[in-house]
Amino acid sequence: MSIESLESQGALVSRGTFWRLMRYMMPHKLRLALALLLLGAATATDVLQPILIKVFLDRYLIPRHFPEQRLIDLGAAYLLLVLLTAAFNVVQLLLFQMLALDIIQRLRVDLFDKVQQLALSFFDQTPVGVLVSRITNDTEAILDMFMTVLSTFVQNITILVGVMVAMFALNVRLALYCLVLVPVIGAVMWMYQKVSSPLFHTARQRLSLLNAKLNESLQGMSIIQAMRQEPRLRQEFGELNESYRKVRYRNTQVNGILLRPLTEVIYLGALMLVLAYFGGESFSRAVNIGVLYAFVSYLSRFFEPINNMLQRLNSFQQAMVSASRVFQILDNPSRRPMAEGEGEPVITRGEVRFEDVSFSYDGTEEVLKHISFTAKPGQTVALVGHTGSGKSSTINLLMRFYPVVKGRITIDGVDLRQYSDDELRSKMGLVLQDPFLFVGDVTSNIRLGDQHISDDSVRQAAEFVQADQFIDRLAGGYHAPIGERGATLSTGQRQLISFARTMAHDPVILVLDEATASVDTETEDAIQAVLQKMRHGRTTIAIAHRLSTIQDADLILVLHHGEVVERGTHQELLSKKGLYHKMYLLQQGGLQDSAS
Amino acid sequence: MGRFQIIERIVIVRVFRDLMWFFKAHQRQYIAGIFYLIIVSLISLVPPALVGMVVNRLTRHAMTVGFLVLMLALIAAVALLSYGLRYLWRIRLYGGSILLATELRDRLYRHFTQLSPEFYHHHRIGDLMAHATNDVNAVQETAGDGVFMMVDAVVSGAVLIATMALSISWKLTVISLLPLPIMAFVISRYGRMLHDRFMVAQEAFSDINDRVQEYISGVRVVRAFGQEAWERQNFVELSRDVVSKNVAVAKIDSLFDPTISVIIGVSYFLSLAVGALFVVHGRMNLGSLTTFTLYLGQLIWPMMAFGFLFNVVERGSASYDRIQTLLNIQPTVVDAPNALVGVPSGDIQFQIPAFQYPESERHVLERIALTVPTGSTLGIVGRTGAGKTTLMRLLLREFDIDEGDITIGGTSIYQMRLHALRQALAYAPQDDFLFSMTIRENIAFQKPDASMDAVEEVARIASIHDDILRFPDGYDTVVGERGATLSGGQKQRISIARALLADAEILLLDDTLSAVDARTEAAILSALKNNRDRRTTLVATHRLSAVEHADQIIVLEHGRIVERGTHAELIALGDRYYDMYQRQQLEALVEQGGQVG
Repeated sequence: MSIESLESQGALVSRGTFWRLMRYMMPHKLRLALALLLLGAATATDVLQPILIKVFLDRYLIPRHFPEQRLIDLGAAYLLLVLLTAAFNVVQLLLFQMLALDIIQRLRVDLFDKVQQLALSFFDQTPVGVLVSRITNDTEAILDMFMTVLSTFVQNITILVGVMVAMFALNVRLALYCLVLVPVIGAVMWMYQKVSSPLFHTARQRLSLLNAKLNESLQGMSIIQAMRQEPRLRQEFGELNESYRKVRYRNTQVNGILLRPLTEVIYLGALMLVLAYFGGESFSRAVNIGVLYAFVSYLSRFFEPINNMLQRLNSFQQAMVSASRVFQILDNPSRRPMAEGEGEPVITRGEVRFEDVSFSYDGTEEVLKHISFTAKPGQTVALVGHTGSGKSSTINLLMRFYPVVKGRITIDGVDLRQYSDDELRSKMGLVLQDPFLFVGDVTSNIRLGDQHISDDSVRQAAEFVQADQFIDRLAGGYHAPIGERGATLSTGQRQLISFARTMAHDPVILVLDEATASVDTETEDAIQAVLQKMRHGRTTIAIAHRLSTIQDADLILVLHHGEVVERGTHQELLSKKGLYHKMYLLQQGGLQDSAS
Repeated sequence: MGRFQIIERIVIVRVFRDLMWFFKAHQRQYIAGIFYLIIVSLISLVPPALVGMVVNRLTRHAMTVGFLVLMLALIAAVALLSYGLRYLWRIRLYGGSILLATELRDRLYRHFTQLSPEFYHHHRIGDLMAHATNDVNAVQETAGDGVFMMVDAVVSGAVLIATMALSISWKLTVISLLPLPIMAFVISRYGRMLHDRFMVAQEAFSDINDRVQEYISGVRVVRAFGQEAWERQNFVELSRDVVSKNVAVAKIDSLFDPTISVIIGVSYFLSLAVGALFVVHGRMNLGSLTTFTLYLGQLIWPMMAFGFLFNVVERGSASYDRIQTLLNIQPTVVDAPNALVGVPSGDIQFQIPAFQYPESERHVLERIALTVPTGSTLGIVGRTGAGKTTLMRLLLREFDIDEGDITIGGTSIYQMRLHALRQALAYAPQDDFLFSMTIRENIAFQKPDASMDAVEEVARIASIHDDILRFPDGYDTVVGERGATLSGGQKQRISIARALLADAEILLLDDTLSAVDARTEAAILSALKNNRDRRTTLVATHRLSAVEHADQIIVLEHGRIVERGTHAELIALGDRYYDMYQRQQLEALVEQGGQVG
């Protein structure tokens, strides 16, 4: 719901935006040409109909001349034209709409690909809702524009041109007179655009204010009630509501002055012009009634397209705003770190080395300062420290979520930067603090997208982490559905599934971000036992909150404000009686109150 | 088809009957609007008749300047008159529908402010928003376009058909109108199919929305496991699905206009063919035939309106029902009959044998017997879920208890007006929710007319004054969405200042100092002590330092009071409170990097 309120921080709409969008039509040149061809054909068969009636009136009805066969032919031709027009129109309308849908599909995939390439820092800075809205809602607004441009504008302008051509064919002078309509209608469009577009924007703004107010009130209702502010907020809402009503009312007024009622007046004016012309002609020579009929019937066709276009002008503008926001993301320069240099190094042993690594997210405040350590193949290195000490940042760098700028990280002696993404992802297994489960079932969450992992491997991985017992008890077993964020499972169960996920990928290096969330002791013990098993034979870099779980680590780094303040084994650190010792005492003191 | 239409007609009757209260309240506006609309449809009959007359004169070669000028002048007059009237009916009818939407939104909002927290447990904010936006829009459409279409379809349709039949030829009218009922049926049918398929397409759209949302939330997992290609494939499939479902919509959409044009084409064909026959037989002149085809052209819209009407009204009716259902939900916490108006004062007493939240099996509080003397401070400690917040929510009457009682100054809070009770309570909740207004307005939320001095004074007590001055616009800084631009500690302190400004006898601090550092906490607590002379304070907290100086401390565990006493007594007891205390001392030490102590 917050999306509306973010509308104001939209990007600037430039002239280039429209043409850039139009370029998306290029790959569909042929289909576009076909659709345009059919549109032309439909318009031609459409404007021919009054001409047939004119022929009927002038040649047969008025002279009272009725050759049967000719009349049947004429009638058949008329109905054929009606049917052809309809058939052409069905196909071209569908073609245009499918074209628009395909273009949006392309745009969406482009956008998604772009998002996949963005650096993680982009996600840190952009709220999820905004990004989702760019990929879905904004592209939907652009779809609207393609439909508008292709279906409404191209269609209606073609019809207008067709009608004008037919008028010229029938009577050049009168058609020239009717050309007066073009600047008149142009002026109305221009004026309507000028008057209505600020109103339209004000209306949108007030509506989003209104919705924001409602949304916020609903969220904070308990406070509003506890503080007895219901009457005041009702009044405030009432005022916003009223101001929105006023602008909508103004909108209705403007529409009433400039839209349909006015085009009706112009239509009647044009009708007067036609009648005056023929009336004037009749004083000097005989008048062709058929042409009069055709003109009158063309005029009535002339105004529907104009009404359509007028009504679509505003959504066109909205789409331009959306398009510029989409392009803003597509043009974002931030890129995730990718493989650099030649060759395709392979991780075999799993030796991890940090060499004087410093890091800052924002370029000013360093969250890691001169970190150096080595994890030999099969060793466990544990990182401990208070919140904000730099543990997670260390892992973020190792996983290459962020680029290493100062210092160097190597795996098996090769710079981290040189590994391909595939190699890194397949050899390093991350177990996240907050096990993130996707909507799907148990199997799909363990396998993720890797189709090489067979159902058997999934089962083995689950057995390995001892998740099989509870999975078997779930209704549906390995195909038990998992809802949003795995809400149906307990924390412990979610963790076990995320362990199984890691094991199914059989990594060389294990990166553990231990959960802070508390689970009951029994589950905790089970999880620890599983972790022990997982670490066996793998190089492990672990963030630990419970010091009890890393007593057997080969190296423990105690971080404080981004620096390693103590290092050693559990025993060594305890005997130092420093920070680690105090942390240890703290945890010995009372595990029962770890909830806070 | 017969039954189909009867059902439809019932829907129309019902929704207009449901909305009758509104139409009645704005009688004059609606009667005027409908009246103008009828006049418009009547004078629209004139130009085609004039064209017919001109054609007749022309065929008879009997045109005169005077006649021509008269005809043109009449058309001009009709043009001007109908321009004015078209404008006026739009203002009346659409203006009315906008007013209805405004009124419905107001009613919903008013109702939302009256509903108890229990209601908000059962309803998602997104759904409530949808009622106040989409459903209100659908009803607005019914009251605006719906009324217009109905009047236009019935009045214009009837007037046109009557004129064609009476003034030109009823036989020709019947013949040329044969295809038109099919049109109304087709439109209604297509309209429904469009709507249904559109709903399916919307679902696909919302699927892709959810999927993208999930992907972005879990982007770290995706990258850690190198699932990008799979995610992409997934996304492409979903977006293809969206396309294919939209193509299904487009198919009907593309059929819509062409189908109608075929029906109209056939209708024209019939009228011209049969009309020509009549002209030949001298039963009709060419001018009348021209007039007739022009009328036929005018009849297209009322017929289409007839088709659209069903769908608009059907949607409006469903939406109106949803809004009514919502409006009929009654709040669970209400004033007792003859409730006391006076603001309560005095000792607070809790007597709660057991309490559980509605539709919950588990007792959140059990055997609570507690007295808080006026002017004293009560500390409530315990783990998350122990019942600390519940105790405060019960005092605020966010929920009512089934057994036992809570009294202030000897009077049950259930005998007081809700507003009177809440006037005695100042509340700084755990969820430090701030509104997106300026900081000053947030602090003065309860007293919008408080002076700047008063605002600054409470800000000082809450140790937030200096922070506020450092913001770009000081007290006029607007708080971002859900207070996003402020740190947790700052939000908490503003929330405390907000509660203090209420100047109520009883202050409730629900873990409102958790994100504030120890030194600031001490400053706030001592300022509070000086300021809150002879006032009662309830402090729920995780952090024991916040209650060290309380007159009475209770330790809650699983909803029961397991220890009670002063800080010194509880330390001496050497049990739960003592353990917590030791632990927190050590924690503080670690937080400071083990340097101090």
